[in-house]
Amino acid sequence: MLEVPKASLSARTPHTGPETTRLKAEVRQLNFYYSGGVHALKDINLTLAEHQVTALIGPSGCGKSTFLRCFNRMHDLYPNNKYVGEIVMHPDNTNILGPKVDPIEVRMRISMVFQKPNPFPKSIYENVAYGLRVRGMRRRSQLDDKVEQALRGAALWEEVKDRLNDLAFNLSGGQQQRLCIARALATDPEILLFDEPTSALDPIATASIEELIHELKEKVTILIVTHNMQQAARVSDYTAFMHLGELVEFGDTDQIFTNPRQKRTEDYITGRYG
Amino acid sequence: MDPMYTHISQQYNAELEDIRSKVLQMGGLVEQQIDQALQALVKGDVALGEAVIMDDTKVNSMEVAIDEECSQIIARRQPAASDLRLVVAVIKTITDLERIGDEAEKIARMAVRLAGDERPKNNYAEIHSLGMHVRTMVHNALDAFARVDIEAAFNVAREDRKVDEQYEAVIRQLITVMMEDPRTITRVLNVIWAARALERIGDHASNLCEYIVFLVKGKDVRHTSLEQVEKEILGRSSGG
Amino acid sequence: MSDANINEIRRLITRHKRWDKLFALIGLLAMLVGVATLAVLFIDLLIDGAPRISWDFFTSFPSRHPGSAGILSAFVGTCLVMLVTALTAVPLGVAAAVYLEEYAPRNWVTDLIEINVTNLAGVPSIVYGLLALGLFVYALGFGQSILSAGLTLALLILPMVIVATRESIRSVPGAIREAAYAVGATKWQTVSDHVLPYSTGGILTGVIIGLARAIGETAPVITIGALTFIAFLPPAPIKAEAPFVSADWLFAPFTVMPIQMFNWLSRPEEAFQINAAAAGVILIVMTLAMNAFAIWLRYRFRKRIKW
Repeated sequence: MLEVPKASLSARTPHTGPETTRLKAEVRQLNFYYSGGVHALKDINLTLAEHQVTALIGPSGCGKSTFLRCFNRMHDLYPNNKYVGEIVMHPDNTNILGPKVDPIEVRMRISMVFQKPNPFPKSIYENVAYGLRVRGMRRRSQLDDKVEQALRGAALWEEVKDRLNDLAFNLSGGQQQRLCIARALATDPEILLFDEPTSALDPIATASIEELIHELKEKVTILIVTHNMQQAARVSDYTAFMHLGELVEFGDTDQIFTNPRQKRTEDYITGRYG
Repeated sequence: MDPMYTHISQQYNAELEDIRSKVLQMGGLVEQQIDQALQALVKGDVALGEAVIMDDTKVNSMEVAIDEECSQIIARRQPAASDLRLVVAVIKTITDLERIGDEAEKIARMAVRLAGDERPKNNYAEIHSLGMHVRTMVHNALDAFARVDIEAAFNVAREDRKVDEQYEAVIRQLITVMMEDPRTITRVLNVIWAARALERIGDHASNLCEYIVFLVKGKDVRHTSLEQVEKEILGRSSGG
Repeated sequence: MSDANINEIRRLITRHKRWDKLFALIGLLAMLVGVATLAVLFIDLLIDGAPRISWDFFTSFPSRHPGSAGILSAFVGTCLVMLVTALTAVPLGVAAAVYLEEYAPRNWVTDLIEINVTNLAGVPSIVYGLLALGLFVYALGFGQSILSAGLTLALLILPMVIVATRESIRSVPGAIREAAYAVGATKWQTVSDHVLPYSTGGILTGVIIGLARAIGETAPVITIGALTFIAFLPPAPIKAEAPFVSADWLFAPFTVMPIQMFNWLSRPEEAFQINAAAAGVILIVMTLAMNAFAIWLRYRFRKRIKW
């Protein structure tokens, strides 16, 4: 039985209140089966603390991307996938995996940034505005404001404010990824999912995105999958280590990286096996 | 917990193994320094004392070398978990070992000074006894480091209390001597400095044990009482 | 590396390069055969027919006198039939392709349909003609009209449009779709805001290539009864009096260029052969122009896309 982590009192997460951390989401006994019966996730229990960054680490094939994609029901796009268990969002206590819950509704609350930057072949403005248009926003002034807000939030505004109608593909890789982040932010999501967001980027772009994540967490709860352990150590408040579809250990990032409780975690983190 | 589990990178493995063995080497050298300084003092052997003083440079350069290696490991490997604790523990350990070396050098200096003076009736027996006690502490601490054994480390730390008591006793004795015969004050002061150095060595050896606990358990037990350490780390309560 | 090794490697490379050059030569010759044959045929036609091409030729109706015969009715007929074909094939084809690619569940029924769609492309065109005769001309009562011809040819090129559309849709990367879904779009929003717009280049190319084929299809049009001697144009769609638009043109008798050519070819007079050559030149130019347009469209639409 895994403990629910206490709030970290390290300098990394300054607290404005008492020791209790508000939860944004709870994962309860989550199991996932790919079509064909492959049991990809086994009995996962963990919690997402609100306005904190939680990282998922583990070797290839351990299920961390599969787990991430459960949060915004991306698996529903492909046939014959099965969820067993719950992911409960707070404060409304909805189980987003419930069969009666519309995946589109879930995706309106939870946004995702993908591994390889995938902007639409449209203008920068239209890329960011698309999420808003899908929600029925039409007034130009409103869209302008929200687009600017999102681009500022993604630390991209200054670089593109004079060329919003340029094609998104003309941006560099790092800029494209920040554009994708702006696109995800424009709709004011409650949880932002990052699927290895910097693995296709150079170190400088990576560093700027990590910095961005640090700023973003004041407004959103973040769940990030990364195969770069040092990135998880730099960027997250809580870390979950997964292996072969199971959650092996979950806790404060500082504790996991200096003194993990499980041997498997220790072995992975110190490079005793990949 | 056996830290000597192989990493995927053999090179990394070798680097960690290297700093461990260098620390033990340095420890061995320092032990020898203590031994020889004591000998020099008790036997009045000036040549030996001077040899110890010169050899302190060896201890210092070992500290610098190991420090350098640790920095490089941190830069290159970004060690985590037990590897990180090992590197941190090594950095701290060599600091204390170097200080022990310095104290041994001080004892050797006293030995040289005292060599010319008239020898006391008991041939510095009390210093010798204190010195052996302390040297055993250092030896056992290094042993505990080599075997990564926190029980042994804890026992060494406990010894420090006894060393402190023994030191107090020696000081009282020496003060009595000074009071009885003021002509001995200059000589006895030197002996007192030597005793003080030995007591300090004991403290440093005790520090080494704290680092071993950190290495194994990940808990920083500096400034924690022995009883608390016993309870939390070893998981038992007992009479000291 | 020793000298002997280097020399050996050099010998090896020289040997392999010979095969390289040999194949390049063979490929070149093969290509030239096709291109040269086409060029020779076209130039031959051009030599025969070019002198006959004039404004008169375009604006005259066919007549028994070769000198005054023209392709007006055939040309207009071709254009109108192509219009009906395009307006039918495009929506049907694109919708079918979108359904098959995006909406249809992956089961044996869908697989069956997919196989048959591609098979349809291989059905002989005369069979389409027979189908059209029975269905459009008689059963539905459209008669021997532009509408029937247009619908028949639409069916003919439907598989092409479907396949081209599907290929185009498939080339839209899954990452773009996932991005659209992740932002909260429904399947239809994803398809209409992203998949279709980005596939437009490929779809248009497929449509135009299909039309370029349809333009020259003679057998089905003959079967449904395109007349060979039409000396009038179909009624205009815009009328001077209410209700101002009429659909009569759809049901009018008509002819198309290939049929006109066929008719002229079967006349004994030499002059009619020249007329046929001239019409042939025009037909080929139309086809080439359509293909060129397709290429240009593809280029224009591809500019935005970087995958």
